[in-house]
Amino acid sequence: MPTSSDEKVRIGQASFPKPFTNGLEFNAPVHGTWNIVHIGFRIPEAHQIYICADNCLRGVVMTAAEMGELGRFSSVVLEEDDMTHSGRIEETTIEGVTDCLNKLPKTPPVVIIFPVCVHKFMGCDIDFIYRELGKRFPDVTFVRGFMDPVMQKRGTTPDQRLRKAMSDIIPDMEVNADTVSFVGSDMPANSNDFQTLLELGGKTIRDTAACKTLDEYLAIGESSLFICQYPAGLMATKTISKRLGREFIYAPLSFNLETVREELTASGFAIPDGFIENGINACSSEVEKLRDLIGDTPVAIDYTVAPKPLSLARFLLDNGINVKTVYLDVIDGSEEEDFNYLSSEYPELVLHSTIHVGDRRLVRSEGKVLAVGQKAAWFEGTEYFVNMIEGGGLYGYAGITEFIKHMEDAFVNAKDLRDIVPRKGLGCRSCI
Amino acid sequence: MKKTYRILPVYTGDVSGAASALYELGGMSVIHDPSGCNSTYNTHDEVRWFDQESLIYISGLNDIDAITGNDDKFIKDICYAADKMKPLFIALANSPLPYLNGTDFRGICKVLEEKTGLPCFYVNTNAMHDYSKGQSEAFLSFAKRMLKSSNKKVKNGVNIIGMTPLDFTSTDIYISDSHEIVSNWALNTSFENVMRAAEAELNVAVSSSGIAVCEYMKDAFGIPYVKGLPWNGKIQDYMDVQRSASKNYIVGEPVVSGSIAAYIKQQTGIDYNVIASTEITDGLLLDCDKRCHGEEEIEEALKDAEVIIADPMVKYIAPQSAKFIELPHFAMSGRLFRKQIPNLMNPEEYIHGT
Repeated sequence: MPTSSDEKVRIGQASFPKPFTNGLEFNAPVHGTWNIVHIGFRIPEAHQIYICADNCLRGVVMTAAEMGELGRFSSVVLEEDDMTHSGRIEETTIEGVTDCLNKLPKTPPVVIIFPVCVHKFMGCDIDFIYRELGKRFPDVTFVRGFMDPVMQKRGTTPDQRLRKAMSDIIPDMEVNADTVSFVGSDMPANSNDFQTLLELGGKTIRDTAACKTLDEYLAIGESSLFICQYPAGLMATKTISKRLGREFIYAPLSFNLETVREELTASGFAIPDGFIENGINACSSEVEKLRDLIGDTPVAIDYTVAPKPLSLARFLLDNGINVKTVYLDVIDGSEEEDFNYLSSEYPELVLHSTIHVGDRRLVRSEGKVLAVGQKAAWFEGTEYFVNMIEGGGLYGYAGITEFIKHMEDAFVNAKDLRDIVPRKGLGCRSCI
Repeated sequence: MKKTYRILPVYTGDVSGAASALYELGGMSVIHDPSGCNSTYNTHDEVRWFDQESLIYISGLNDIDAITGNDDKFIKDICYAADKMKPLFIALANSPLPYLNGTDFRGICKVLEEKTGLPCFYVNTNAMHDYSKGQSEAFLSFAKRMLKSSNKKVKNGVNIIGMTPLDFTSTDIYISDSHEIVSNWALNTSFENVMRAAEAELNVAVSSSGIAVCEYMKDAFGIPYVKGLPWNGKIQDYMDVQRSASKNYIVGEPVVSGSIAAYIKQQTGIDYNVIASTEITDGLLLDCDKRCHGEEEIEEALKDAEVIIADPMVKYIAPQSAKFIELPHFAMSGRLFRKQIPNLMNPEEYIHGT
């Protein structure tokens, strides 16, 4: 199936995994998802330093400013002379970072450095920079970030590599068999069956998304098992598991009740009698409640709300919910089976790009729409929306049930779309 | 070190400035950039994005196209978008990677004009300058490519030049009855409005980003210009008001700051010196004023300050002994103090206490 040059395509006629042809890109005024600044601040006490051109710097420095975190953020501006003199970019980077750190009232224990696309294109000797900084600041642990969106479309994204770099500083500690850690996500585990089973089993749970101190963050190194529930964190999870010789579970929020059963069973955690059956019944009863509440109201989903939007669409459609549109630009490989199922069973379901040039001139449908995710809300122009990103830390039957409750609440209680969706980093402090 | 920033945000960049200047003019602005420029712009530097349509896109440049200098995809994508969205013109803006590999934007513009039949021009940005430079380049490029001379003249007609939401919140400008505002470049305006500019008899540059196009219109159409905000309906050049050295400072964009300093001098006799912290300053500062580039220079210049008028962020680097009068500037603190930004045309709103 060829890719669509239009902004939307029916799933029955869509290509997998890229339904849309690449072109110029629009950016919707919806910013609840996290960027590398939000993610970097997940290491408590860490300081971030960006080395880039003015215009690129503006986005990250204002992210930190709006979080009220400028005290943990510094920047070094690259100018034309850094690109026209051999060796200047290394010098500016090293001297700039040094100057930033010397100006701080106290040297931070962890510093995340963000070179940019230009460093790569200039053939900058990054290893030399870190060697030199290591000599000048032997007590600082440097995290090797990168802000190079030019690599975004091929290979790993800056977001994925940052999560890996952040996990690289977690030390190899003696294994504590009673400690299990959630890693790689931005949302702390919440209404999460793994969390429940671990608590029932008396385990100590750590979570990279919920550490209050650096010591707490580093203590993740004692974990006997890692659980990753966010695709962008998988590379980090695989790397740390291999480096420390530990096992990991990868299980993003799925709305396939059978998949959940398989993942819970495969985890090896003790599962109380009736846990799975009760969970399935709770999901069924809650989705029935949702159906009674919203009737034929059209539902639109977007990819930012949960890692598996097609799994969500399939679950809702199979349960009689009138899902009309899924907003996404590419489809994760893990959703191929759901894509094929939806193509076959619900071929009229619309896939709508969020970055297509035509999206600037929206024609919105009239009548009430229930949106699931911020982008879907903006595209549909509705104030009835689930305000969540990345699955909200939810997982399993408890997670699915909670997710449906969010939909019920969203259907009844309108939100201030104009105020909410332009704010950056849902869940982070916002000073605007 | 001049290039480091401990606490101040950098000003809005040139790419965002260019997009802001052209926002309401009915064209399609394309930033040749991988990602990030568009999000930064519409999140932090553009208050109109949520409510007002404008065709501003990025190219989504990837590493292979950047390395190989593959302009074909860029051209093809622009042609597709132009055909679909029907802009009145196409403007191209540069960013660091195409700047590094020497992309021939003017050549691409020629190709695009042939392929689309639309006027196309290049705005000389590279993401390494501030918004005033980007706006200035955009206004100038637009004028050179689009503006035509006019036989019709509006008696006492005035163009307001250099106005965007990065410096201004309101276009509520009062000029005495004998004058008529012909066009506004470019806030609460339109393509048709700015295309009337050659009918005016006078240009008023209300920011440094309006100077270059005023110079151009002076040469091309014989329209003279003055610099400064019109106070109490009176058009005057703020540089004509003499000020002396003092320890009272206004930090910010030079034309706005100079106009405020002139107003205070005329109203109270008190001298304020301008610390121009944006890029375009040639011919815009008196001897008592100073140009500062970056946080370190501004901090140094403020060391002896007694009174400071500046964006609230500047307070972080100001001496604690100085009296500080907040004048939020969207191009510096973005959305943080947006609700407190006053109408610059009403100085009594924000300079009381000087």
